[in-house]
Amino acid sequence: MKRLLIILLMFAGITLCATAQEGLRINEVFEGHVVSKQLIQESLVKGDNLAPYNLKVLHTAKCTANAKERITIEQLFAEDMKGRISDDDSNLEMESRDGHLYYAIVQLKNNARGTHRYICYQCRDRSSHYDITLVYMEGKASLADLRKTFKKK
Amino acid sequence: MNKVTQENVRELLRRYMEGESTQAEQKMLREYFDGEQDLPDDLAPFAQIFAIIDEATPTPSVEALDRFASPTEGKRKRFLIWPFIAAACIAAFACILLAPPQQKEESMAIAYVDGKMLNNEVQAMQMGQEALQEIFSNGNHEQQLSELFNEP
Repeated sequence: MKRLLIILLMFAGITLCATAQEGLRINEVFEGHVVSKQLIQESLVKGDNLAPYNLKVLHTAKCTANAKERITIEQLFAEDMKGRISDDDSNLEMESRDGHLYYAIVQLKNNARGTHRYICYQCRDRSSHYDITLVYMEGKASLADLRKTFKKK
Repeated sequence: MNKVTQENVRELLRRYMEGESTQAEQKMLREYFDGEQDLPDDLAPFAQIFAIIDEATPTPSVEALDRFASPTEGKRKRFLIWPFIAAACIAAFACILLAPPQQKEESMAIAYVDGKMLNNEVQAMQMGQEALQEIFSNGNHEQQLSELFNEP
C-alpha cells in the first residue's frame, strides 16, 4: 500500500510539472514589474476564440517605456530567446537597429505536450519614449501559418 | 533392525493387497524386494511389481521438496504484482496527459486597459489581433516606409 502511494504521488508530481506553463523572463513585463501595470494595455485570450488561428493562448502587452525600461525588457526578451528552436528563418525572424532589437518573432522549444510556443517583440522609437509590444502565443499553428494570417498585404 | 523374514513379507503382502498396509510397511516391502536376490517362487512376481511401481513414481529430490515448501513463494507472487500496478498507474496518467486539451482548457478573453480589467471578449480579441498584425507586418517594407513617413 505504501509503495502504491509513493508511485501515485510520483506520477502526480510529473503530471503537474508537465502541465504547468514554463516560466519565461518576459513574464516580469506582463506582471507589471518593469513598467507599471497602469501603463500596460494587456490582452489575454485562451480557448475557443483562438480556434480559427489554431492557437490556444494569446497574451499581448503594449506599453510605453523609457530608455532604461526598454533596455530591461530587451534583456529579458533576449534571455528567453535562448530557448529558441534554431536560428533558421522558419523559426526566427528579427531585425536590429542602432544596436537595439527592433522586432523579433521567435519560436521557442515546444512544451511537454508538443504545443508550439512563440514570443514576439517590437519597439518603436517615438523620440521621447518607446512603444513596446510583447506577445506570447501557444498552439498548433506554425510560424508560416501565423505569417499568412496576420501579415498585412 | 530386525531382519524381515519371508513369513513377514507374506503377511505384509497380504495387508498390501487388502489395502491395509502403512507407508512404513510398503517401504519395507520395496526395500526387501529391491535387496533380495534369491526369492521363492511365490514371491518372485512381486519383485517385478515393486520394481515397476518404483520406476513409475520417482521420489522428488530434496531440493524440489525444499522449493515446494519454501515460504518465499508467497512473497515472490506479491512482488510480481508491482510492475503491473506501476504500469497501470503510468497508463492512467498518460491518459490524463494525452486527453484532448479542449476538454481541459478553459476559454477566456480578458483585457487590461489603464490598470482596469475589462471582461470584454471582443476588445481582448481586437487588441490581440492588432498586436499580432503590427508585429507580423514588420517584414513588409512598404508598411515600414508608410509608418516612417507618417510619423508625427
